[in-house]
Amino acid sequence: MRQGPFVLTFLVGAMLIAIFFIPHYRAQQVQTQLLDWANIVYAFALALGSISLLVLHGNKVRAGGSQAKYSFVTVAALVVITVAGVVQGVEEGTLVNRIYNAVNAPLASTMFALLAFFIASAAFRAFRARNTEATLLLATALIMMFGRVSIGEFVWSGFPPLTEWLLDVPNLAAKRGVAIGVGLGAVATALKIILGIDRSYMGKA
Amino acid sequence: MDEALDVRWFDPNRINLLVGLSLFILFLFVNLRRARRAPSGLYIRTLPALQALDEAIGRATEMGRPVLYLPGLGDMSEVGTLAAVTISSRVARRVADMGCGLLVPCYDPVVAVLIDSATREAYTQAGRLDSYRSGTVQYVAAAQFAYVAAVTGLMLRERPAANVYMGSWYAESLFLAETGNETGAIQIAGCDQVTQLPFFVCSCDYTLLGEELYAASAYLGREPVQLATITAQDWAKILAAIVVVAAVVATFFGYTDIDKLLKTS
Repeated sequence: MRQGPFVLTFLVGAMLIAIFFIPHYRAQQVQTQLLDWANIVYAFALALGSISLLVLHGNKVRAGGSQAKYSFVTVAALVVITVAGVVQGVEEGTLVNRIYNAVNAPLASTMFALLAFFIASAAFRAFRARNTEATLLLATALIMMFGRVSIGEFVWSGFPPLTEWLLDVPNLAAKRGVAIGVGLGAVATALKIILGIDRSYMGKA
Repeated sequence: MDEALDVRWFDPNRINLLVGLSLFILFLFVNLRRARRAPSGLYIRTLPALQALDEAIGRATEMGRPVLYLPGLGDMSEVGTLAAVTISSRVARRVADMGCGLLVPCYDPVVAVLIDSATREAYTQAGRLDSYRSGTVQYVAAAQFAYVAAVTGLMLRERPAANVYMGSWYAESLFLAETGNETGAIQIAGCDQVTQLPFFVCSCDYTLLGEELYAASAYLGREPVQLATITAQDWAKILAAIVVVAAVVATFFGYTDIDKLLKTS
């Protein structure tokens, strides 16, 4: 019944794997073409997603309630940006560009700045010495902090080299272990999908 | 014809990758054969994070609150996102079976379309298509911090009982996981980005580390052919470990050329 998408997935997946090993310019042109097609699919999906967003929040505004104001802001922002972008473009000095610089960029920066507080609260929870692992984590974090600030070297000159050792030996070993696992897992997942072993993406739960 | 154009039909610098991939495919077919012959013969160790998934969905059902499923910030070219899409289908099926609500705000419109389709199908298979609400899966924003603002707002307003984070995550991981922690939700994460794993470990109740994310779909499905891919992956990992040890030993004894065999372009 659903052999069409599977056959297409298999053919495109197998072709892209083959192209990875074929440096011939014609093969590379095919790859570029396929990537361009992916952009076209993205554009259609973006339009679909925006319409769905507009309908969903439009319905919420019509329904009213305490949260309707958030939906109104979403709909208004979507409509204003889309219309301004289509009419004027997005170059320097246009309305979209000014809104981006005056609203979007400062908001994004503000959000990002909050990360420091989230790190502090997460660290506080993780570093409570409840068991051996958490105590080890706390000790490592303290060494890292002392090794990374100038006062650390003043307290004990061994902190910076110890920090480097922690990063280059146990940390790197763990990271590489995870990276090898992720690499092999990625290949397994890709093969599962290409060979049709896993068709959950088509709704085959 | 331009002389700069490459007319080779094979890149010899990638021979090691071809050998590796061929071995992996061989392992896969051997294990698929094993799975078909003795379906109960394949073992998969318990993953507490996925064991807790049913508990989390059950808790959400009892509390009358929704389950929040977040498929990460990757697009469909990232394997972590592919895994997130396949896991979403399994989660949706369980949510449909138990009859609680589901919210899936998406960062990427293509991912949103695929998850919407997979979720509808899961509800259909559960015989609960009537429970599927339009807007369950919604595209939110393709801007990182706009997405964070939308999802954290959703968490604070809807108060989901369970938050499931699967896929590829970046700087937003800690914002979302910490906000979810504050709302008191059971949090289960799976991430293939090494740099984001510590954040999830700190803020979530359960975390799937790296490759466990890719194994999750097979684990939840429990079909022997799916488990065969995990066994093949384990065989490849053993082979990788042997190659690493052999390379270290060879380098120790002065055979440094082994390094060239493992390098690729």
